[in-house]
Amino acid sequence: MHARDNPFSTARLQHIRYRFQGGSWDGFLEDLKQRRYRGAIIGPEGTGKTTLLEDLEPRLRDLGFTPVRLRLTQEAPRFSPVMQQMIDSRVSDRHILLFDGSEQMGWLAWKRFLWRLGEIGGLIITRHRAGRLPTVLRCTTSPDLLGGIARELLEGNADLTQKQVHDLFRRHRGNLRDALRDLYDRFALGRMTLRQETRPDRLAP
Amino acid sequence: MNELKILLANDQNRFRPSETLKGVAGWRLPAAPRSADVRLFWYTRGKGTEDVGVINRFAFEQPQAEEGRPFQFVLPEEPYSFSGRLVSLIWALELVVEPGSQTTRVEFTLSPTGEEILLHADAQAHARSR
Repeated sequence: MHARDNPFSTARLQHIRYRFQGGSWDGFLEDLKQRRYRGAIIGPEGTGKTTLLEDLEPRLRDLGFTPVRLRLTQEAPRFSPVMQQMIDSRVSDRHILLFDGSEQMGWLAWKRFLWRLGEIGGLIITRHRAGRLPTVLRCTTSPDLLGGIARELLEGNADLTQKQVHDLFRRHRGNLRDALRDLYDRFALGRMTLRQETRPDRLAP
Repeated sequence: MNELKILLANDQNRFRPSETLKGVAGWRLPAAPRSADVRLFWYTRGKGTEDVGVINRFAFEQPQAEEGRPFQFVLPEEPYSFSGRLVSLIWALELVVEPGSQTTRVEFTLSPTGEEILLHADAQAHARSR
């Protein structure tokens, strides 16, 4: 299958937004407000932490805050000088920092980061394990969630059995990002196919 | 009802490098838009991070609420349209109307043969069987 027609292409995965497992946006925003917008979103890789932060950003803006996205990764574990300068000098009590990948910071760097922050409207971080800030949400996944997302992307154009979903979920230990990439590979290699009558280019972009 | 459309001259959607692409952009809107332009670009689609390159832009002066305007672009030498298992490169034109960032898009291929270049054997077999 051509990459352009693959139902699990990155472009299509990006349309899938965070789905609460037993919660809601209203409840989550109320929790954040009660905690003065300070807390940690925790969960293993591929459980939606980054997607949740992305989806939180416009909602905070609607509440009158100015969200600022910060991101550290294994490849880039420190803030750039420009970003550090912005954090030091530009943030105010209307800014809420949405800090993805905070576990990349060592204990000392974390303390220094907090000390330099000054007055801010909030700080919401993501981590794989609890710590640093009180947990506000624990991201979890399930075979049902994986099956729902995969079937939505397939738009009824291929069969995906419950057993296949459970096997995928187990193989990737609940990491939905990896499970969906696995499905990409299966379609790319022809191990799974769309129904013959399906025009792949008719799938939503 | 808002309606945007791009029509390519002679319904041609396969082009060779340096060829001139001609078409008409049309729109039907409740009021005259602030701006309307057609963008020539390529983008990638597949498993990894997407890439995009905007090559040219054709802006229509003083657009009215309802009209069709001709445009043309001289296409570049590269990159060619191609598809593999991991990534595809797709050429497209997009009509963008402001306010509201309303868009419509048409895709076409650009290569020495005018056909999308297929990078793996079963894709080539698939293309032959069409």
